[in-house]
Amino acid sequence: MAEIDFSWSDRNHQFDIAAAREKGHKLSNEILVENIRWFIIFRWTVVAGLILLQVFFLTASETLAWLGVKENQTWPLAVSIILSGTNFAYIYALDFVKPSRYNSPSANLWAQIIVDLICLSIVVHYVGSTATPAPFFYILHIALACIFFSAIESLIVLIIVVVMYTIVLVSESGMFIYVYQSIMVGAQVVPDESLNKGRVLLWMVSLNSLFLIVWYVVSRLSIVVRAHEQHLKEAMEQVKQAQYNKDQYGMLVTHQLKAPLDAIRSKINLINGGYCGEVSSDIREVLARIDKRGAGMSRLILDMLRLERLKASVHTPETMEQISVAAVIARAIDKLEPVANARNIKLDHATQDFWVVGIPEQLEIILENIISNALTYSYDNASVEILSAVNFQDATGNITVTDQGIGIEEKDLPNIFNEYFYSPRAVVHNKSSSGIGLSLVKIAARNNNIKIRVSSTPNLGTTFTIVFHNILPPGGNAD
Amino acid sequence: MPQKIAHIDDDPDIRDTVRRILTMNGYEVDSYHTSADFINALNNPESIPDLAILDVMVESMDAGLKTYVELHEQFPGMQAVFMTSLGDMILPYFVDKSQEWVCIIEKPVEPAVLLSIIRDRLDRNPSKLNSSA
Repeated sequence: MAEIDFSWSDRNHQFDIAAAREKGHKLSNEILVENIRWFIIFRWTVVAGLILLQVFFLTASETLAWLGVKENQTWPLAVSIILSGTNFAYIYALDFVKPSRYNSPSANLWAQIIVDLICLSIVVHYVGSTATPAPFFYILHIALACIFFSAIESLIVLIIVVVMYTIVLVSESGMFIYVYQSIMVGAQVVPDESLNKGRVLLWMVSLNSLFLIVWYVVSRLSIVVRAHEQHLKEAMEQVKQAQYNKDQYGMLVTHQLKAPLDAIRSKINLINGGYCGEVSSDIREVLARIDKRGAGMSRLILDMLRLERLKASVHTPETMEQISVAAVIARAIDKLEPVANARNIKLDHATQDFWVVGIPEQLEIILENIISNALTYSYDNASVEILSAVNFQDATGNITVTDQGIGIEEKDLPNIFNEYFYSPRAVVHNKSSSGIGLSLVKIAARNNNIKIRVSSTPNLGTTFTIVFHNILPPGGNAD
Repeated sequence: MPQKIAHIDDDPDIRDTVRRILTMNGYEVDSYHTSADFINALNNPESIPDLAILDVMVESMDAGLKTYVELHEQFPGMQAVFMTSLGDMILPYFVDKSQEWVCIIEKPVEPAVLLSIIRDRLDRNPSKLNSSA
């Protein structure tokens, strides 16, 4: 006896903040490295600002006196030297030292945060820990830690901030002995000692509380965002899997539809090859008709699968490659020459090679379908001309396919790239038209950023011009 | 001694067609309904063919591809061709496999094309193969 438990619960796909918190989702190393580089650049601007401030201190003593700022201050230079030195160290660790447990992007970021907090504490100390907005810059570091680290790690950063700010306040107050409200700003008014203690305490409690609140809000927000990001990633995986399953299903259906036709047409080929003895010309003619209809149906079935695949490839872009247009033309001609020969249609071609960036299989689909259409809608014993040329003026390359066939009426021209569209005139000329060929061309052209121009005169013929923008020099390799 | 060709296909009409074409052109043909039958037969050294014609979708979606991988590992020099209704549409499923080694024939069976490909493939591998296992 076999027994299986089936379950279709959606629980796994539900958004779960608690789980996200437990997992402590971290950002990938790529994201950390990208941001570390950004922080390094940002730090250089801070260094430049500090150097400018130092220059100001050295050159504008009168203004400083007017503002009540003490002279002979060298802390901006000292901080900018520390920041520059450590910035070089971060770059060296990132680009020139082999990654290890102690040289990971996370460790690099930790070093940056700690050094920056020490420097900020120095700046807060000199600029004014209770008289200026300088301490509010601690919030920036707490917020960044919440974004780049787990909740626990950002809590550690918060604790470091609280400790550092408290040390600054306590050291300035001399264990609640009188100090100036700012070391940088000269003492013009001597405040009451108890009033000063009260203010220091008030700043200590209120700002540290603010740091805690900011940490709580930002870290929670960060957890929510990361959980959503994870959810999105999982959803993308599911979409990819669904796409794969859909393609497999499409293949299965295509196979089941085409296999019986293939068996029938294989038997016809067996008879035509003389493996079943001699047959009359009447039977051969009937078999040829059966085979022709079967071939049309087979083409339709495969085209439907191709269409579905091309539609799917819009959402999952394939790798682009540098492609020689002459090679694509040669392959298409090689493939379609037997079809042309069977109807005594001459395939004339003159190719000037140029290279483009595209998806090779899709460029082949475009060219094969356009040439195949030209052959299908040509009259017997006619000719089809294929030309490729580079227009150096606007750096474009063209492939032109011209037939002398039935042409397209003006009213039908805007619809020819629509799925399953075929005009009554086209059906009269070619009963096995599927109406899919040019919709394949449309999707492939869109995927490869190709324009197609069509001009046609009924009963005289049609010209398809495939226009490639941003062509590469011969041999490819634009750079 | 005639060269031996193994043909795996679940469609009896295709098996019959291929057998007729190949036997009338001097080859010895062993037809198999499933890939599993073929793999089991390889235990007998007498059954090891010079070339295998594999169908892709026999028993399951990718049974032919699995057989191909197993065959390639066990008999790296053995020639094999795929014959499938899907033609080159199955190529995306050939991940990281040598394009040179893979030869795909699209059904229906065309006697002249089939013979030409088989002769070409056998010419690359004239001597009887030994198992690397």
